Amino acid sequence: MRGSPLLRALLAFLAILALGYPLRQVTRAEFQPAEAAAAAPAAAPKAVVLQVTFTTSPASFTVKHLGREVWAETNGAASVERKLEIPYPAEGVELQFAAAFPEGAPLTAVRLVLTDPDGEAHEKSLWGSGSLDEVVAFP
Amino acid sequence: MKILILFLLAALPLTAAEPIRVSTFSTILTEIAEQVGGARVAVTGHVKPDVDPHEFEPKPTDMKTVGNAQLILLSAKHMEGYVGKLKEATGAKGRLVEVGNGFASLKLKDDHGHDHGDEDPHWWHSIANVGKAAKIVRDELSKVSPDDRAAFAENTAKYVAQLDALQKWVKAKVAELPRDQRKLVTSHDAFQYFAKEHGFTIYAIEGLSSSDQPSSKKVGEIIAAIRSQRVKAIFPESIQNPKVLTEITRETGAKVGNELYADGLGKGEAATFAGMYKHNVTAIVEALK
Repeated sequence: MRGSPLLRALLAFLAILALGYPLRQVTRAEFQPAEAAAAAPAAAPKAVVLQVTFTTSPASFTVKHLGREVWAETNGAASVERKLEIPYPAEGVELQFAAAFPEGAPLTAVRLVLTDPDGEAHEKSLWGSGSLDEVVAFP
Repeated sequence: MKILILFLLAALPLTAAEPIRVSTFSTILTEIAEQVGGARVAVTGHVKPDVDPHEFEPKPTDMKTVGNAQLILLSAKHMEGYVGKLKEATGAKGRLVEVGNGFASLKLKDDHGHDHGDEDPHWWHSIANVGKAAKIVRDELSKVSPDDRAAFAENTAKYVAQLDALQKWVKAKVAELPRDQRKLVTSHDAFQYFAKEHGFTIYAIEGLSSSDQPSSKKVGEIIAAIRSQRVKAIFPESIQNPKVLTEITRETGAKVGNELYADGLGKGEAATFAGMYKHNVTAIVEALK
């Protein structure tokens, strides 16, 4: 091969440079910039039934799901039941349950029964006097 | 003679008031020792906030302080590789307590939930464990200074009440996040205790130590998991190099959440255990919602 070494080196460099772009495309094939991770679609609400029974009637109580109030009562009944429409993933749900009891009320037991969308009942108990504020997981 | 007796009598109260010298090798234990010991202790925290305890090595000045300490507190669970040196430095003078050995260990899990055999040393991500640690420290301080037992018990009760309030806050905050979205992608595997208490699945990019480096296969697996599980955010840590996280976010489109404090306390709002824990929980919940 004739020509100066400098010219040959320059030609080789230009050849590598020309190959650079297609090479980069090939090597990047498996790591194409991803589309943004598709956000999980919001789970559709399903019907669950929550039954609450107190040994001493509360002055009031609330139930929150995902930080949002889904049920509030001030009627002072000792046993109440409500159908709630909430997303219910396979992992289950957590409900934040808060109650205030009349002054001087004794230590009170609270029984929570949640019937899930498949019709299976899950039971939990809480205890409190004065007030209580607990997160309860179902199942 | 009279003068000598008067001098000794005058010196007695000063001797009694001398604080108990405590050396700690974890920012969490520094807080616990200060809270439980109150005015009766002088705590030297050898590992400072925002320092990586996995990388920390005691210096000769640390050894000198440890040599004079009456109580030395360690995280244990293999966090302090230099424990042998400390035992040598303390001789038989100070009580060396490996606090974390008082709790059940959780082990590193793979993506399928199988144990890998390595125990997670970051036990403080369970608030219940921190309460137990406070009681261990209370008992150890009481052995050093039995006269202060009541004060230590009172201080511990106050601290544990604060931890109970924190636990309540955390449960309510985590309850804002649907249970099927509790998937935590972090730099290193430091959140097994947190995950167990609050129903999260961990996808750690590195191993238990912050110095572990992920293989390209591991990074590929994490990217696949983020895509299939539709994880919305991944979390860097205060002490980590976020380079790999940046690569993963570019490939998956997941956003980068606020930094998490994995290895102990930090500065500002993370300067206390409650502040650090609230910071982490808020960052996780808000990013994954």
